[in-house]
Amino acid sequence: MSATNCEDAQRRFFAYLDRALADEDVEALEAHLEACLECCDRLEFSRRLDSFVRSRLGEASLPPGLEERVHRALAVVAPPSEEP
Amino acid sequence: MAVRLATKRAAFGPEGVMDRRGFEDRALPHLRALYGLALRLTGDASAAEDLVQETYLKGLQAFVTLRDPDRVRPWLFQILSRLVIDRRRASGREVPLEPPGDVDRFSLYDRIADEDPLPYSDKLHEDFLARFRDEDVRRALVRIPEAYRVPLVLVYVEGLSYRELADLLGCPIGTVMSRLHRGRKALERELWDCALLRGFIKGEKS
Repeated sequence: MSATNCEDAQRRFFAYLDRALADEDVEALEAHLEACLECCDRLEFSRRLDSFVRSRLGEASLPPGLEERVHRALAVVAPPSEEP
Repeated sequence: MAVRLATKRAAFGPEGVMDRRGFEDRALPHLRALYGLALRLTGDASAAEDLVQETYLKGLQAFVTLRDPDRVRPWLFQILSRLVIDRRRASGREVPLEPPGDVDRFSLYDRIADEDPLPYSDKLHEDFLARFRDEDVRRALVRIPEAYRVPLVLVYVEGLSYRELADLLGCPIGTVMSRLHRGRKALERELWDCALLRGFIKGEKS
């Protein structure tokens, strides 16, 4: 990625936050960020939004009876046999 | 070879035949995590329970094919995610995706700045997000098209890498990247619509 403009930079924000950008793209994006406060603010918002969504998804509590239900379902199915 | 034999042996029971007990011992500790994923993917508790049960039944049938029993958790997640994808395809209820441009153009950052719903706030964007309830976020996530939601939930809930997602979804990494981008944009728009419905801001629904 060469001569990064704001649009290019912003299209790469999520992959950057997911650590999925190639090294050269990371370098180009970070070079752009050093010179562009507007993109820094936008990236910070994307980072905050990601962390906000993760925190709000939380852990689901196990419904009562589900473990028993799964046990019962597994009990009536014969697993495939295979000699070791 | 020794490792392969050891891991294979682990999947078999005392009689040397793969038994239900061996599977349950390894797979059932992940029940809560699987239910959490199923719930975020379907948005419906009853559908999530059915999905989890089906995942375990499929898992039991396929357990002998799992080479490394220590990888049982990602393997179960993969079975569950595939069930969601396959079911939706088979039902023909897959929501048609919008033209990419419409989704890509939406910016929650800009909307918040333009509408300025909290004029006295010196950290506007942060305070805006703080107004949502957990339930608002979960509902917003369920409303985005499934092709975007599945990879997004797997990143948020399980921290899957793009490579793992590409293998799971059977598509190139570039497609994973664009779906995650559009998924987040679609989520931003759903949150904005939720803010309008809940009266945080006044304006036209996008």
